Amino acid sequence: MKMKALKSSPFRRAGRRAGRILGLVILNFLGWTLLVSAELPLPSDAGRPVVVQQARKVLTGLVTDSNGMPIPGASVVVKGTMVGTITGADGRFTLEVPQDAAVVTVSFVGMKSQDLVLGNQTELKVVMEDETIGLQEIVAVGYGTQTRREISGSVTNVSEKNFNRGVTRTGVDLLKGKVAGLTITNGSGDVTSEQTIRLRGTSSLNASSQPFIVVDGVPGMSLNSVAPQDIESISVLKDASAAAIYGSRSASGVILITTKKGKRDQTSIEYEGYVAVDNVTNKPELLNAAEWRDYASKNNISTTGLDLGGDTDWFGEIMRTGLTHNHSLSMTGGSGSHNYRASISYLDQQGVVNDNVLERYNARLSFNQKAFDDKLDLTFTGVMTQRNYSPSDTRNFVLAYNMIPVYPVKLADGSWYDNQEYDQGNPVRNIEYNSRDNKSNLYFGNIKADLDLFAGMKASLNVLKQRESNDYGQYYDSQTERGRNDIGYAQRNSWMADKQLLETTLNYKKVLENHNMNFLVGYSYEDNYYQSMGAQNRQFVTDLFAYNNLGAGENLRSGDVWSSKNMSKLISFFGRVNYTLMGKYVIAASVRRDGSSKFGKNHRWGTFPSVSAAWHMKEESFLRGVNALDDLKFRIGYGVSGNQDGLSPYLSLPLYGRAGQYYDNGKWYTAYQFDQNENPNLRWEQTSMFNIGLDYSLFKGRINGSIDYYDKNTKDLLYTYSVPQPPYLKGTMMANVGSMNNKGIEFLINGDVVRNGDFRWNASFNIAHNKNEITSLSNDQFTTSAIKTGDAWIRGGSNNTTHIVEEGKEVGTFYGWLCKGIDENGKYIMDDMIDGKAGLTDEDRTYIGSAQPDFTYGLANIINYKNWELNFFFRGVYGNDILNFSKMSYATTQWLPGANVLKEALTIGLKESPRYCSYYIEDGSFLRLDNASLAYNFDTGGKYGINRLRVYLTGQNLFVITKYTGLDPEVNMSGLDPGVEGREFYPKSRTISVGVNLSF
Amino acid sequence: MKKSKIFIFIAVVLTSLGYSGCTNLDEEVYDKLPVDQFGKNTKEVNSLIAPIYRTLKGVYPANFFYLSECSGDMAITPTRKGGDWWDGGQFKELRLHKWSPGNNSVTSAYNSATSGITLCNKIFVMINENPSIENKEMILAEIRGVRAFWYLMLLDYYGNVPIVTDFNDKELPSTKSRADVYKFVMDELNAIKDKVRADVSSASYGKITKGVVYTMLAKLYLNAQVWNPAGGAKWQECIAACNEVMKLPYLIEPTWKNSFIVKNQNSQEIIFPVVFSTSDGGNTIAQRTLHYLAAPSLGLKIGTWNGVCAMPDYVKAYDPADKRLAWSFLTGPMKNPATGETYITAHGRPLIHTVDVTMKYGFDSDGWGQVEQEDGARCWKWEFESGQNGDAENDFAIYRLADVYLMKAEALIRANGDIAEATRLVNVIRSRAFDSPSKLKTSVTLDDVYKERRFELAWEISNRQDMIRFGTFLNAIPGWKGVTDARYLLFPIPRTARDANPNLTQNPGY
Repeated sequence: MKMKALKSSPFRRAGRRAGRILGLVILNFLGWTLLVSAELPLPSDAGRPVVVQQARKVLTGLVTDSNGMPIPGASVVVKGTMVGTITGADGRFTLEVPQDAAVVTVSFVGMKSQDLVLGNQTELKVVMEDETIGLQEIVAVGYGTQTRREISGSVTNVSEKNFNRGVTRTGVDLLKGKVAGLTITNGSGDVTSEQTIRLRGTSSLNASSQPFIVVDGVPGMSLNSVAPQDIESISVLKDASAAAIYGSRSASGVILITTKKGKRDQTSIEYEGYVAVDNVTNKPELLNAAEWRDYASKNNISTTGLDLGGDTDWFGEIMRTGLTHNHSLSMTGGSGSHNYRASISYLDQQGVVNDNVLERYNARLSFNQKAFDDKLDLTFTGVMTQRNYSPSDTRNFVLAYNMIPVYPVKLADGSWYDNQEYDQGNPVRNIEYNSRDNKSNLYFGNIKADLDLFAGMKASLNVLKQRESNDYGQYYDSQTERGRNDIGYAQRNSWMADKQLLETTLNYKKVLENHNMNFLVGYSYEDNYYQSMGAQNRQFVTDLFAYNNLGAGENLRSGDVWSSKNMSKLISFFGRVNYTLMGKYVIAASVRRDGSSKFGKNHRWGTFPSVSAAWHMKEESFLRGVNALDDLKFRIGYGVSGNQDGLSPYLSLPLYGRAGQYYDNGKWYTAYQFDQNENPNLRWEQTSMFNIGLDYSLFKGRINGSIDYYDKNTKDLLYTYSVPQPPYLKGTMMANVGSMNNKGIEFLINGDVVRNGDFRWNASFNIAHNKNEITSLSNDQFTTSAIKTGDAWIRGGSNNTTHIVEEGKEVGTFYGWLCKGIDENGKYIMDDMIDGKAGLTDEDRTYIGSAQPDFTYGLANIINYKNWELNFFFRGVYGNDILNFSKMSYATTQWLPGANVLKEALTIGLKESPRYCSYYIEDGSFLRLDNASLAYNFDTGGKYGINRLRVYLTGQNLFVITKYTGLDPEVNMSGLDPGVEGREFYPKSRTISVGVNLSF
Repeated sequence: MKKSKIFIFIAVVLTSLGYSGCTNLDEEVYDKLPVDQFGKNTKEVNSLIAPIYRTLKGVYPANFFYLSECSGDMAITPTRKGGDWWDGGQFKELRLHKWSPGNNSVTSAYNSATSGITLCNKIFVMINENPSIENKEMILAEIRGVRAFWYLMLLDYYGNVPIVTDFNDKELPSTKSRADVYKFVMDELNAIKDKVRADVSSASYGKITKGVVYTMLAKLYLNAQVWNPAGGAKWQECIAACNEVMKLPYLIEPTWKNSFIVKNQNSQEIIFPVVFSTSDGGNTIAQRTLHYLAAPSLGLKIGTWNGVCAMPDYVKAYDPADKRLAWSFLTGPMKNPATGETYITAHGRPLIHTVDVTMKYGFDSDGWGQVEQEDGARCWKWEFESGQNGDAENDFAIYRLADVYLMKAEALIRANGDIAEATRLVNVIRSRAFDSPSKLKTSVTLDDVYKERRFELAWEISNRQDMIRFGTFLNAIPGWKGVTDARYLLFPIPRTARDANPNLTQNPGY
């Protein structure tokens, strides 16, 4: 590791090295291609089709289910063309087709699609079969696909027909609540905020606990890189035996996203669009002007100088009805040796707070070409995502809480009212004049090549070059609360992240009579470069420049310009064997060896093995006679996976970083100081998971589901631990110390409640329980009794913490004083005997709740009647606690009359300063009607070339049943201090949308 | 198989093997400096030594400031009506002498000292092992000087602490007695007093110099009876050390304010400053002391916190003719500059700062209550610059010549020495504070020196040390606290420090 002079910049060299590797691979691939092609005849002109004007004929027909009931809305398309229609309410269709049309494809959601070869007949009778959920379904697993039958790990797959509808920002919105054990939490109503995604609990203190995202086989992708409308299915690899093929980054599970592809011989144009309105569900109930005046007069408080005659609902003033619209257009097609899909999506979403917007453009083009007698399969994919977005400035919520309702937004002469009391200022003016704008780009090119070498042997190549960048501009106007002290404050900040990936695999499949074998070996190289720069300035003579002319500011200080750059690499070798015996016994084993540059020199490489087995018990003689049972599969697996995401590079090295300035003889110079306690022993965080499960299917697939139990142990937990000073230079150090356990059970049942001709009702219920426990925070080198964390900042409450991370407790344990209520004098009745001594001290703090739920569950329903489809979905959480921070801060009359408080302040009876205690910890259990959607499929009869026309009305977040008294029981769940609804909580909204799907 | 195919096959296999070479995981560092590649010349070395001085920002105006002034009788951070500055009771504990090892101020102050010491040790090793450094002896003495300063602070406030001088020694250190620490500091100062630079100039401002080392020695000897009772009094040594400082070209600034203005780096009275800059950790006394609406009233462009103010009796003891009263404390109405009207606080009261601080609301069982937002005289010693945006640049003088004058006067009286000289020294200080020569002393007593120190050194982190030396620290403060236990003469070793290092023993009584 060395610093190089500029002329041979490390950046250029790194680029060159990646280029060299790429060159090597392409050369290598060409070699293989050459080897294969040597045996192939060259393509000749002989078989080329000749285009002739064609005569047409009329097809009629009836589509029914296996019970003979007609199916309305089924699509009938001449294969390879855009000619097609949809069956009417009676299941019948009429379609004019070219005379030489050979094959017609009939498809319907939930049924197996059929290709019918047309002879001379013009009258068709089609009996559709239910798609048996499960067994033959093709499911994406790491580095390949498998049929559900072959899978021995714990994998859940959700495909398009089961996706959530309505406003969906990212791929995971599509499966929110649908996968047992996967919790997706929107901790904020901000349309630019990211969800917290957790699979089977939190398994890390420091590194990321977010599942690893793989899009179309490309590991480590951003959810923003794919529009929800482009997604075909999502697989969730839950246990380590399934996920361990992704080795060092899969400890929190893996989400595999498969996008829609072009199909051979099927051409169509699809439009999907919706318009949605958002309205806030709950906003803080603060005193209004009349109530404030009433309080003042009843308590003989002089309001001179305070009561300016206003009647302002400050939250109302900064909120609005949000309008969202989304349009996506896609083209798919192909013939013979190629196919393509191109799509463009546009999303424009307004948050319910006036400064909150998100605008997004997604474009994706994927082209697939087969060559050499279909032995070479090449896919080029290009993707671009542009986002313009402004996160809400949550400071304005604090101002809206504090500003009293008798202040006006504007004075009688039309000028803005403002004020400089503590935590006060005009939030409306802030929003009107200040800006926080992000412009982000993400684009990548991906080449995939599969080459059949010889019978069963396939070589694959996957190359990715990606660049993601963001440019941020912020301006605080000189007259606003935010900018008044700086007399205008402007900042620009930009970063760029480059990722280069190269993966090669060799796959060999062999089927002998009763033996089915599949071998995979692979190599992966990935490097990531990150660079950023920014500048800020203040004191602008005019506000007209906003953030567009930083040089115009008159108060540039040292430290106002900055830049940074870092890099990391990950290199892996991996292999997997799948073996199925007699279709009954499945065994899979995988191993991955990963090397990461982020760790200490001697700890860079880690090995992550897994093994799993499945047994199709139904195939055994003792169950063969049980007719009600379609399939019963027993699964068992164990695997080890790692975690390094979320860890900064260079933590193992002794480095000097900038450390402010020093004064020497009248001038200031830059000082340098050791940045960190370097840890040369830094190594992988390791998670080993045992999983046992059962998949079942009964009554011809009418009822099916699964049960899983897992036990997950994470050791060498990475965290910034406290260390003594001296001997250590800094008070904290990143190290591998503790361990943690997650145990849980997941249950899924899915069934057709009613399956009666044109009335069908499918219901699916999942429930999951996870128990987290920190098993150790010490090792022979470091001891930590407990980490007290979380900021309980309320006025007069500095240095308070809300949570504790301690051995034997779960992450998210609330720690504070135990309050039994409020007495008649308005004082808390605190338990001060926890430490055995009278008098309330810090030692009297104890465990007062947990943010981790006992259960999470979801109930999805799809009801079809003729052309109608009703879809509704409940989601719930049970047994978690929430800290109602707003209540703690503002349910007190202490700040009256000069600052506003919640209405509750007048009834709560508290007369002393608010303190963090169990009084504000509430039951956070809830049941939410998350999504309800009513759709109608029109009988287009192929008119105007329309194959499919569907309109729908969707409501999201329609109601919540909860005992929680704050704004919304679903709050931020990330980090070590989850479960807090803070003062800066962005209220949630209810969304109603109208949409249309149209395909030609 | 054809021959050509075999060649291709071999080539392919060979290139495939090429991948196995792609396992190089070396990192490239771009925006940080690898330790072995920096520190080669004087400029680089200077930038690496500099952080030892930056640690001094832990002295003032937060950690040690609160420990000294708010545990003595100079200042108070009262809980304001509504609960501001309750902060877990840490300031109440300081005021009422009820602190425990978990107190946040006690912890932060200790941590700033130990991290300062550790950094000095680390940089000492680095300089010592670097062959390409000129003036190595002087630089090493300078580092030892800062380390000795931090040990002096620990000696004063915590007494019994571990002594660590070798960074490479990774053993968890054990507690040493206060007497050992005293001896260690004395030996260190004596060892470096002739090795550090002696100049008093712009170039030596903010650095460890001969003047700083002798001032530290003077402090050490002045408090010898407290810190090392077995060693007895060291008044002559104190006088000698003060004389060494007074020989150097420091000056009692004729204009008292020169040591407290924004550009006070030119004050020749300052011996050892904490050097502040707006962009890199400045003087935050304005934020800490001023009311929210005092900022617009005084034309400051900062958010203020309405915290620390003076204890009423401390202010009331000033002679009304003493100009330092108005120079040190802010009282009276805070007016809206646009309208000329007095601001109204959030509790509907006019914002007029009073000297009195009266507990009125929400009493705890120990009598601690809440005071009105406007109560208390505010710190007004360091000039606030109109338009100030962000932290202030007024440096804080840890040591200044007036303090040395008063130390020498005190030592002379205590040693039954030259009272006339002591009187002259005190009068030099007093003559700046009064217009009328009638206010000068004809002969000074020990009590006169004690009072003079209080008038001159208000807010300057001298209060606790002086009170302990004069035996007044544990006394009752009427209306606030009764006589307190002798254990409070030392602060406890913080709980977090003992959690991290089980070899540390707690001070008696905690």
